[in-house]
Amino acid sequence: MTDPPPVLHRVEEVMGIPVGIDVRDDGVDPGAIGDAFAHLRWVDRTFSPYRPESEVSRLNAGTLSASRAHPVVQEVLARCHVLHGRTDGRFDVRATGAIDPSGFVKGWAVEGAAAILARAGARNLCIHAGGDVRVLGERKPGAPWRVGVQHPFVRDRVAAVLAARDLAVATSGAYERGCHVVDPRSGRPPDGVLSVTVVGPDLGMADAYATAAFAMGAAGPAWTATLDEYEALTILAGGRVLQTPGMARLRADALGREPARPAS
Amino acid sequence: MTRGPVMRRAVPVALAAAVVAGLLASVRARPPSRPLPAAGAGGGTIASTATATAVPEVRRVSSKRPRRKGPVRTGMSTESTPFSIISVRVTLTGGELTRVETVELSGTGARTEAINARAEPILREEALRAGSAKIDVVTGATYTSRSYMKSLQAAIDEARRRD
Repeated sequence: MTDPPPVLHRVEEVMGIPVGIDVRDDGVDPGAIGDAFAHLRWVDRTFSPYRPESEVSRLNAGTLSASRAHPVVQEVLARCHVLHGRTDGRFDVRATGAIDPSGFVKGWAVEGAAAILARAGARNLCIHAGGDVRVLGERKPGAPWRVGVQHPFVRDRVAAVLAARDLAVATSGAYERGCHVVDPRSGRPPDGVLSVTVVGPDLGMADAYATAAFAMGAAGPAWTATLDEYEALTILAGGRVLQTPGMARLRADALGREPARPAS
Repeated sequence: MTRGPVMRRAVPVALAAAVVAGLLASVRARPPSRPLPAAGAGGGTIASTATATAVPEVRRVSSKRPRRKGPVRTGMSTESTPFSIISVRVTLTGGELTRVETVELSGTGARTEAINARAEPILREEALRAGSAKIDVVTGATYTSRSYMKSLQAAIDEARRRD
């Protein structure tokens, strides 16, 4: 059974990472994909700490005061402040001394891109951005998007497959993408964490929670079990996978079934 | 690697606080709106449930020290993976889950690993597997444009372009 090809599909490099947009609905203005990428580029110009002219860089340089920053910048920093509290301080835009909200901004920017496409009539789409994923609707009627969780050691294999509808999926991990094998014993505590995948309604939040849980190390999985609306899957260095019950219900592989749907 | 700087600096702080945080996380009550898993509701049901799904429930019943009264029961489930056969042994003491052990019966580095049930509330455990199921998209640690070239995601995007 082959899937219908995407109606609109494009991969571009934005924010230093490849971003892919895949829309499955007919009748969506192709210009909407261009608008979505334009939004991501605007976010990059405004928030990148690597661009001297960005608002974030000027805030750090002291040439822009917070009260004169773009309202959207103020909103993002306020949301990061809330996340700082919710993660017991683990998610910290000032962790490096300077302001760097990148850990939230990437997912938040993708949410904005998805909203632009939804306003143009897209109901079934998938966006990936450097390992983070946002899906709306389904890949085809009755079939959820299948999101593979990257295996930490084997580049062309997945450790889990999630059946996703209207879901944000973010992963924070220690492995290098180019490597075939990463030795978990090299410089890693025995109970070290290889990756944390967090799913939920918002990609910015999922991204921040994944970063925070990863930073918590062995205490991360227990912490993820306390999150409202978000579920998590943690891969530990010893080859153990710990997941919250809600995440287990999303699994399309281990449980050997996709969530039941009436036949169409 | 957009979240790299945040992550790297956060780790030492997190490790320093990990012990305290672990304790806090383990005693924090789960919101009542989230339904508890059904397994573990009755003393004898864990073993059969685990056998059916091969995914053990790790349920912390109480943040207090488990009472060591009442009958001790154990349940066992076994699962074959491409690499090994994994068994999970669950111990109930007086109806409370007091111990979960993962026992690797075969494969490389056969071992026995005990998990403190009280420290890992309501989590399910399984062994890491390398699957090759058909997927639409990949989630993983942030990759750069250079590493994307060799990634699973790039292969999926390339196949889509040929559609």
